[in-house]
Amino acid sequence: MTAADPSAPSTSPRPVDGEGKISLTLHVNGREEHLRARPHHTLLEVLRNELHLTGAREGCGVGMCGACTVLLDGRPISGCLLPAALAEGHELTTIEGLEGPNGELHPIQEAYVEHTGFQCSYCTPGFILTTKALLEERPDVSRDEAKAYLAGNLCRCGSYVKILDSVMDARDRLRGG
Amino acid sequence: MAAAAAPMRVPGMLDANLRVRGRVPYAMDLNVVGMLHAKLLRSPYAHARIVSVDASRARALSGVRAVLTGADLAERDDIYPYYGPIFRDQAALAMDKVRFAGDPVAAVAADDADIAQAALELIDVEYEELPAVFDVDAALAAGAPIVHDEPPRLGQTFADIIVRAEADTNICNHFKLRKGDVERAFAEADHVFENEFTSPPVQHVPMETHNCVAWIDAGIINVTTATQMPFAVRASLAEIFRVSQAKVRITTPTLGGGYGAKTYTKVEPIAALLAQAAGRPVRIHLTREEEFVTITKHGVKIRMKTGVTNDARIVARQSTCWFNTGAYADIGPRLIKNGGYATGGPHDIPNVWVDSYAVYTNLPPAGAFRGYGVSQAAWAYETQMDMIAAQLGWDPLEFRMKNLLEDGQAVMTGEDMFDAHFKELLGSAAERIGWDSAEQPQRTGSKVRAKGLACIIKGTVTPSTSTAAAKLNEDGSLQILSSAVEMGQGAETALSVLAAEGLDLRLDQVSISRPDTDVTPYDQGTSSSRNTYSMGTAVRMAVGDIRTQLLELAAAELEASPDDLELVAGRVQPRGVPDKSIAYGDLVRGSRSGNLLANGVYASKGGLDPETGQGIGSVHWHQAAAAVEVEVDLDTGKIDLLKYHAGVYAGRIVNPVQAELQTEGNIAFGLGQALFEEMIFDGGQLQNGNLGDYMIASMEDMPKEISLGILEHIEANDIHGIGETSLPPAMPAIGNAVYRATGVRITDLPITPEKVLRGLRARAAQESAE
Ligand code: FES
Ligand code: FES
Repeated sequence: MTAADPSAPSTSPRPVDGEGKISLTLHVNGREEHLRARPHHTLLEVLRNELHLTGAREGCGVGMCGACTVLLDGRPISGCLLPAALAEGHELTTIEGLEGPNGELHPIQEAYVEHTGFQCSYCTPGFILTTKALLEERPDVSRDEAKAYLAGNLCRCGSYVKILDSVMDARDRLRGG
Repeated sequence: MAAAAAPMRVPGMLDANLRVRGRVPYAMDLNVVGMLHAKLLRSPYAHARIVSVDASRARALSGVRAVLTGADLAERDDIYPYYGPIFRDQAALAMDKVRFAGDPVAAVAADDADIAQAALELIDVEYEELPAVFDVDAALAAGAPIVHDEPPRLGQTFADIIVRAEADTNICNHFKLRKGDVERAFAEADHVFENEFTSPPVQHVPMETHNCVAWIDAGIINVTTATQMPFAVRASLAEIFRVSQAKVRITTPTLGGGYGAKTYTKVEPIAALLAQAAGRPVRIHLTREEEFVTITKHGVKIRMKTGVTNDARIVARQSTCWFNTGAYADIGPRLIKNGGYATGGPHDIPNVWVDSYAVYTNLPPAGAFRGYGVSQAAWAYETQMDMIAAQLGWDPLEFRMKNLLEDGQAVMTGEDMFDAHFKELLGSAAERIGWDSAEQPQRTGSKVRAKGLACIIKGTVTPSTSTAAAKLNEDGSLQILSSAVEMGQGAETALSVLAAEGLDLRLDQVSISRPDTDVTPYDQGTSSSRNTYSMGTAVRMAVGDIRTQLLELAAAELEASPDDLELVAGRVQPRGVPDKSIAYGDLVRGSRSGNLLANGVYASKGGLDPETGQGIGSVHWHQAAAAVEVEVDLDTGKIDLLKYHAGVYAGRIVNPVQAELQTEGNIAFGLGQALFEEMIFDGGQLQNGNLGDYMIASMEDMPKEISLGILEHIEANDIHGIGETSLPPAMPAIGNAVYRATGVRITDLPITPEKVLRGLRARAAQESAE
C-alpha cells in the first residue's frame, strides 16, 4: 500500500471529500456498486474494505502471487496493483460472483472440491478465477500449457499437483457440459 | 480405544465447499464495530541505542486514536511488556535499543490504515548506531558486540529444555548429547571425515501474513488471531497485562498457512496494548515486507565429523551446530535441541557427541520452521553420507542400508527404535526412481542427468499435552471441543473422522469447534506434526468415555451387561439384535443430563538428561526418504527436477488426500530450499524481503514426475504426523543428484546455478592442471 498523507491535496480531477475520498462506480458480479475511496486505493482494498468481498486476498501487494486475482472483462488481473478508479467501466468478477443464483458451485469449483485442489485455500479464489480465464481462452488446454498459464499464482502449501488435477477435470467438465 | 471396525476413509476436507467459494473466514476477515487500524514504525538500523522518540506530531494528527512508544511501556508498572516462549527477551516495542533492522519502536492506531501510515511518518526517532553482528562466527568472536546486555529474563520454561545461556556472550543456549565414547571410536575407525555444511535463513511465507484483532470488553482481553498456539498467546498476554489467564480470551479461525511461523506470540501484544490505550478494537495486519522480518528459519553452520570402518559401518559422529537465532530467542533455545540431536541421523551409530548452540545476532528472530531444525541437520548428514560413499567407492544406497536403524537398536538419544521402516522407505524410493549404482550420468548435449537419495529421522515434541472434550447431545449429534488449529492440514477433518468412528456416527453428525480459550480445553499447539496423533488421541479418549457411558445407560435400560452390547449407526443394541436398539439421543434424554460429557487428556512422557542428551527424545520417530532424478545444464548451471519420489511413514493414514497434499507440499517447500530460497542480508538489511525478489516454488518448478509412497502399517496401531516429515530429505537428495550429474559438491544451500557453474569451472581448471 502506498503511504499517502490523506490530508494532502489529491491530483485526481474528481471532487474529493473531507476524508480525501472520491466517488466511484464499479460493476462487480453483475451489480452496480457506488462507493467512496481514496484515489490511491487499489481495487483489492475497495473490494475487501468497501464491498466486503473477502475472497480476493493480499499475498504480496506487488503483483507477484495471484492471491488477489479478479477478472476484469474476463481477464485475470492483480487487484493489488490496479487503482480502483481504473476499474470503472469494466465488468469485474470475483470468486463470490462465480456461484449460481442459489449458491450452486461453478463446474470449476466442483472440480477443485473433487480433487481437493488446496490446503489452507488462501490462494484458491485466485487459482479458480485464473482457471476460468484459461479455460475460456483455451478450452482444450493441455496439462503443460495449464502449468505455464498458472505459474503466476503461488500456493505456499504446495497444492500444485491437485490444483492441476482440478484444472484438467474442470476442462473436461466444461467441454462435456 | 476406537472401534475395531475398518477405519473410516474420507476424501478431502469437510468444508471444501466454503473454501472454493472464498468464504472460509480468516482472522483478517473479522470486522469489529469501532475497529481501528494499527501500523508499526520499525528500526532502520540493525543495532542502535534509542536516544529519543518524539511522537507528538503523530499524536496530533486527526484520526489518530493511540500512539505508543517503548518509553510509554517502560514507565508503566501495571504491565510487563515482554514476551518470548523461553526468554522474555522481546519487548512489545523496543525500549533501550533496537536489535535488528525491522525491530518495532512505535505503534499507531488510527481510524484507517492510511492515517496510521501517515502518522508513522510524523514520529521522530533519534538513534545512536552500535556495532552489530550478523553471522555466528562474528557473534562468537572475542570482543564481539553483545546483542543482549542484560541476562535474559527466564519465563516458566518447558519440561524438555535445559537453558544454558552464557553471560557476556551471544550464546543463548547450548544443548549437549554424549553417547558412547567418540574419541576412542574415532581412533579406531578406518576412515574419518570432517566437513562443514551451511543452510541459510529462509522465510515461511504463509500466504496470509500475521494479523489479529484485539479488543478489551468488560475487563476481558479478547484477541482473534492467526496463531498456531492460542494457549501460548493467552499465557503471554496474561503475563503482559498482569491478569489471570481467565481474563484473556484467544479465538482462532482457520489460518492461511503457518509452517511454524505462527507458533508463539508475535503481533498480539502490541495490538492489545493499542486497544487498551485507544479504548477501541484494533486490527494489525502485517505487510509481506514486515512478515519477512517477523520470524525466519534458522541459518545454521554445522561441522560434522564421522568415522567409518572398512566394512561401511558408521562408528562415530561428532557434530557442532551453530544456529543463528537472530535478535530474539523465540523458540530457538529449544529448537537447537531437536536440530542438534537430529544430526545423529537415522543410523545405528554407537558413539555420538553433539554440541548445539543458539547464537544471538542482529538479524530478525529465527524460530520454528517446518522441520524444526531437522532439515538443517539432514542437509549435513545426508550430504556427508554421499561424500563418504564417493570417496570410498561405495554405493550410497548400500552404505545407507547397512547403517539404517532397525527395531531394538538405540537411536541417538539412547532409547530403542521401534516400528522402524527406514530400509523399506529408502529401498522403495530407490526402486521407484530406478536406482542403479553402476549407472553413469546420462549426457545429451549440454544436459546431464543423474539420481540422488536421502533418508531421515525426525522426532515430535515430547513430552507434550493435548486435551479435548466431547458432548453428546439429545439429538444424538456429537460435538468435539478442541483447540486444534486448522491451517490447511485438515485437522478438523481428521479429528471428525476419529470422533465419528469411535461412536459409529456419520461425519455430518459430528462437529469440531475452532479454538476459543474460554471454551475449548488446553492444547499445547498445532505444530511439530503432532495434531492428528496427540489431539487425535485426546479426542479418541473423550469419545471412548462417551461410548462407555452409552453402554452403561443402555445396559440399565435393556437389563443386559455392557459387554453384550454394541454401537451401530448411532444406536446401542444387544449384539446382532437391531430390533432392540436404542438411539443415542433417547439414551441421553433418558439420563436427564441434557448431554453426555467427557474429557480426554493425552500427555506424553519423555525428556533428555541435561548432561548427556540421553532419555526419551520422542514418543515415536517420524521417518522419510526421497529419491530424485535431476537434469543439469552444464552451460547454464540450471537444474531441472525430472522425477521425485517421496516416501514417508504414516502409521495409519487418517485422511489419504490430505496425506498426499502435505507430502506434495513438502516437495514444493523442499525444492525451493534446495534450489533458490535464501534471505540475503547486507549489513543486517534484508535485500529480498518481498515476493518480487524472494522466489518461492511455482507450479512450473515442480518435478515433472512425482510419486508418493505413504507407508501405512495399521497393525502398529499408531498415527504418525506427516506434516513435515517428508521435507528434510528433499535438499540432500537433490544435492546428491546434482553431484552425481556434475561432480560438483555443494555444501552450502541453496544449490544455485552460479554455484554449480563455479564448481564446474573449478573442476575443469583442476583437471587441466593435472
Ligand atoms: S497480492 Fe496481488 S499479486 Fe500478490
Ligand atoms: S492452499 Fe495454502 S496457499 Fe494455496
